[in-house]
Amino acid sequence: MNLRRQPEDRDSSDAALVAGMEVRDADAVSRLYDRHAARLLGLAYRILGETGEAEEVVQEVFLYAWRAAASFDPSRGSVIAWLLVATRSRAIDRLRTRRPVAAAEPGGRDPLDDLPAEGDVEGGSASREWESLCRGAIGELPAEQRRVLELAFFDGLTHQEIAQRTGNPLGTVKTRIRLGLMKLRERMRPYWTREGNA
Amino acid sequence: MHNDQHEELLSLAAAGVRLVAEDALEYERLLAEPCAECAALLPELRFAATSLASAVPARTPRPAVKEALLATIRPAASLAGGGPSRRSSPRPSAFAPWAFAAAAAVLFVMVALDDARLRRQREELRAQSSDLAQRVERERSELARRDLTTRVMESDDVRLLFLGGHGPQPNARAKVFWSEKAKRGIVVAGNLEPLPADRQYQLWVFVDGKPVDAGVFDADASGRALFESKDLAAIRTAENFAVTVEPRGGVPQPTGPIVLIGTPS
Repeated sequence: MNLRRQPEDRDSSDAALVAGMEVRDADAVSRLYDRHAARLLGLAYRILGETGEAEEVVQEVFLYAWRAAASFDPSRGSVIAWLLVATRSRAIDRLRTRRPVAAAEPGGRDPLDDLPAEGDVEGGSASREWESLCRGAIGELPAEQRRVLELAFFDGLTHQEIAQRTGNPLGTVKTRIRLGLMKLRERMRPYWTREGNA
Repeated sequence: MHNDQHEELLSLAAAGVRLVAEDALEYERLLAEPCAECAALLPELRFAATSLASAVPARTPRPAVKEALLATIRPAASLAGGGPSRRSSPRPSAFAPWAFAAAAAVLFVMVALDDARLRRQREELRAQSSDLAQRVERERSELARRDLTTRVMESDDVRLLFLGGHGPQPNARAKVFWSEKAKRGIVVAGNLEPLPADRQYQLWVFVDGKPVDAGVFDADASGRALFESKDLAAIRTAENFAVTVEPRGGVPQPTGPIVLIGTPS
């Protein structure tokens, strides 16, 4: 499996499916769903911790993609990145609606401790290989950098809230986010293309 | 120019950190700058942040999720006549009429529920967006106020002049911080009355006894105004200040009533 090629190849056909959705081809959304719903559900579940609500988010994201297919701009990133961003955004919105940030649960789950994937999806082995590679990259980060990135990304906290939660000064939180993300960038650079992939 | 602070802001944004107003403004400024390194770095950082999402184990949704999704979009697809889905749809004759009626009823309820939920979410998002815009606007005003104050206060020749209410607005009050070197003034006014949409307050600087246009401004809902005059480099010296009510956009010479007037100290 050539991981450098796989996301690009997948993305070109993802973009074709989005183009199909633009002309109201229901089979296109069905195929896109088969490819990515599991990954989106994993993300929504990681943020919300509740399967039913996470499934609602996934459904909303595909409805959004169906309705806003014409607005997808491949020059700004891949289809899966577009869907992941939409999923994260909706799940974080629900999280904020559900409970005030100040009352958020202490701690926070580590995605690396979550259960393994359930079932298979179209292109499942490539997808799992990509997932494994990303987990490896994140696993190489120092724990404190990984923690602040997770609090920002999965809990939707401001850096001030992260500082309160971790007991670290604001400057330290900002620095850790920067260092962590710059390290991830270096680690993921071989898989980055200007056209975007995920 | 690219530095650690820029990297920090770009990292915060790419990691999806909710930016506080101050950082949001700084981020906007950064994006507006012609910084090729920043423009190249941001998508790479976003890609790196996406790996956080990609590292989460996938979970297979229940079949009902996809069924509900397709039940919601298929009517639109059929109406649009789009795509191969029409070719792959079951033939109508395969279903009894009652099954169609039942399916239509279920579909109608699902679509109605979905639309209601989306409407609620849209309203919530609209409210959140409005709150955020107001916060940003407040922060902008505050930053502008600090910036103006700093600039004028730091000049070594600043004069403070008091303007009193006059004519139709006897309760209006204002202070003008005037820098003769900078040839600029800052007006801080209060108790101004609301004006019709086609009217604005206009500041005049008196030079050799004659009014010179120094710019127009609006008061906020509480009757306060913070306004920096035009660059008045062409004038010799400011003798006095006045504010009149004029048509929106201002006029070359005062035509409306004077509502504030003062005397240089």
